[in-house]
Amino acid sequence: MKRTHLAAALAAVLVLSACSTKAGDSGSSGSDSSGVKTGKGVTATEVTLGVMTDKSGVFKNLGLGVTQGNELWAKDFNAAGGVCGRQVKLEEVDHGYKADTAKTLYPQIEPKVLGFVQLLGSPVVAALKQNLATDKTVAAPASWSSELLDNPYVMIVGTTYDLEIIDGLSYLQEQGLIKDGDAIGHVYIDGEYGKNGLRGSQFYAKKHSLTVKEVKITSTDSDLTNVVTGLKGAGVKAIVLTTTPAQTGSAVATNKALGLNVPVLGNNPTFDPALLKSPAAGALDKLTIVASSVPFSADLPKAKDVAAKFKAAYKETPNGGVPYGYAVGEVWGAVLKKACDNKDLTRDGIAAALKQTTSASTDNLVAALDFSKPGTPATRQVYAATPDASAEGGVKYVKPLFEAPEAKEYVAPHQK
Amino acid sequence: MSEVDAPPEPQAPPRPRRNLAKLVRTAAWLALLVVLLALPLYLDAAWLKAGQYMMIGGVGAIGLTLVVGQAGQLSLAHAFFLLAGGTAYTVLSGPAGDDRVIGFGLDPGLSLLGAVAVAALLGLAFAPVAGRLRGIYLGVASLALVFLGLYFGQSAEELTGGTSTGRTPAPFSLFGFPFTNDGPEITLLGVPIRQAERTWYLFLLLTVLAFVIARGAVHGRVGRSWRAVRDNEAAAAVMGVSVMRAKAGAFAVSSAYGGLAGAMTVLWFDILKPDESEFGTYGINVSIAFLAMVIIGGLGSVPGALVGALIVNGLPQVLALYSADLGWFSGTGDGALTPVLVSSFVYGAAIVLVVLFEPGGLAAIGRRLTQRRFRRQPPEEK
Repeated sequence: MKRTHLAAALAAVLVLSACSTKAGDSGSSGSDSSGVKTGKGVTATEVTLGVMTDKSGVFKNLGLGVTQGNELWAKDFNAAGGVCGRQVKLEEVDHGYKADTAKTLYPQIEPKVLGFVQLLGSPVVAALKQNLATDKTVAAPASWSSELLDNPYVMIVGTTYDLEIIDGLSYLQEQGLIKDGDAIGHVYIDGEYGKNGLRGSQFYAKKHSLTVKEVKITSTDSDLTNVVTGLKGAGVKAIVLTTTPAQTGSAVATNKALGLNVPVLGNNPTFDPALLKSPAAGALDKLTIVASSVPFSADLPKAKDVAAKFKAAYKETPNGGVPYGYAVGEVWGAVLKKACDNKDLTRDGIAAALKQTTSASTDNLVAALDFSKPGTPATRQVYAATPDASAEGGVKYVKPLFEAPEAKEYVAPHQK
Repeated sequence: MSEVDAPPEPQAPPRPRRNLAKLVRTAAWLALLVVLLALPLYLDAAWLKAGQYMMIGGVGAIGLTLVVGQAGQLSLAHAFFLLAGGTAYTVLSGPAGDDRVIGFGLDPGLSLLGAVAVAALLGLAFAPVAGRLRGIYLGVASLALVFLGLYFGQSAEELTGGTSTGRTPAPFSLFGFPFTNDGPEITLLGVPIRQAERTWYLFLLLTVLAFVIARGAVHGRVGRSWRAVRDNEAAAAVMGVSVMRAKAGAFAVSSAYGGLAGAMTVLWFDILKPDESEFGTYGINVSIAFLAMVIIGGLGSVPGALVGALIVNGLPQVLALYSADLGWFSGTGDGALTPVLVSSFVYGAAIVLVVLFEPGGLAAIGRRLTQRRFRRQPPEEK
């Protein structure tokens, strides 16, 4: 047995030394006949964009929705003629919401793509931060923390968590639900998402001399009864949530059960239409949701168009990821066209084109986006909505896209 | 693939064939090392990245097999020592004068040693608890450390960078040679030796060091005292082994290994990011994965720990790479077989099979196979 092992090992060495080593990466960069510079991820007929999504982990529903939105956009974009005479192709991989898997898959997909139309999951985005900077790959993360904006290659499509909360609090105050000097509670998941939201309420509180009772939880906590009870004891006039939908359900149910009945404000990720069928359904009337992207069945021409195309193409249950995925595609399309006009479809060209993109329109799937100031969120506008079981998509808009004056003044962590 | 050493227990008087066996074994190890040294010339960056991840698992698993298998102390705290080592490396090597986080600006090589030392000291600090408890009681007590780590990661923002952003560790360099794409352009047989390849060699060196030191400990006096304490504390004390010292030593050594694996982890991820819940890079799931490696490999076997790491850390990575390449397990939605799921099944099944049919793990199987070659009769199983 030993000898066979030894023989096998030696044979392996011999075989290895006999076959050729891996080819050094010869950059296929150059210019085509029309003078357009190309590099990684671009051939004479195709532009390849990467999708690193979660099809099998905790966010598989969202990941699938965003990916299907991306695919619908690519289909439409190619039907409309593509860019620079090239068709867009998507290269998709599933990391299962595991940072270690993503870190290993990245070097495999990176040489094939021009940039990433989707990078899902904050642990994944954090793990790949260094890679994006090294490889100069522009990527659209499906995470809306303004902390990510210290990386010039990150393109956030939508309003960041901190600004969502600022806009939302200003809406509550405008409605007369809170006033200067009140105490408010903020329940947040300790992490990229929750902490970024907390920055928003802290900023707003400073402006309006509110007292913020901060409560830190983890994403695995399921029962917020004691948290809300504590907030009741502190005499809060409103509760802000940056939590998971399940936790939102627990918080609003307790809010009602204790007779506290204060308004509750949540940003985009706190609400899922499934809550309307949960035991907390009867307590959702106090909840206001602020978001910069629209739900699947929003009453907008473009959203309806995307929804119709989705139903024709897929059988799965749709979610808000679909219009968002489509919107990110639209922004990428605008950037690609700009880069094509500059005759530079290399990664450097994409990064430069992104900086020149001052009003990427997605037909109101997301507010108009301005990427010209690195470190600054591309938009500060949100919709305000309330849950409504009778409405399509489970929410009813109470205020169309708006930007609060406080949001204008807010300085994001990496804003120059 | 790898060879397994003979049982560390006293042997029958040597036969002439034993020398031959030893020679062959050494040759086999060397051949394996040559293959590992040659791999970066053939494998793409993604596969090297996966290999590095297996080496991180290997270093951590060697540490755990020493404390669980050799000294008989169940520890579920391994993930905590990973976090401690990773944080220590990042803090020691981080640039001084950053207003958000603390850094000492030390040389990365020194910082790596510092990380190992810090983790070992933390292990020693836990020794009074480890020395008084046994079995599942110690397991639960050590599990508390993982939660302590979660809390520490969230609250000590000056050190860890906080859960919201984490912080970037200083890239590794040794005597001024950077393990990144910077520095001198090196090509070997036409292959550019860049970050992935350099890191591979660095991790390989660390893994070999970890392996050799652990083998030395197991075969030496230290290992004997650990095993004596494991088998019967009273008897060990009678023979002159200081039970408390042996236990504390085993725990400190294992923590040091955990710290090294943690420093390798932050280098591998290019970021130190504390977990947002008890599951994550430094969570319970990691402690359990290390335990799985040790059980599959065979409790107390150093080469077995490496093979266990290959299975537990390697399988999800390799399957994910293949599934992206060949479209295996690329189902979506509920009930889909995915690389992560398949590998969980495999190593879950491996644990069940080991516990049912071969409590000695893969190491015992390997031992039996090799001894059948070189011995007339198999040795008496204990």
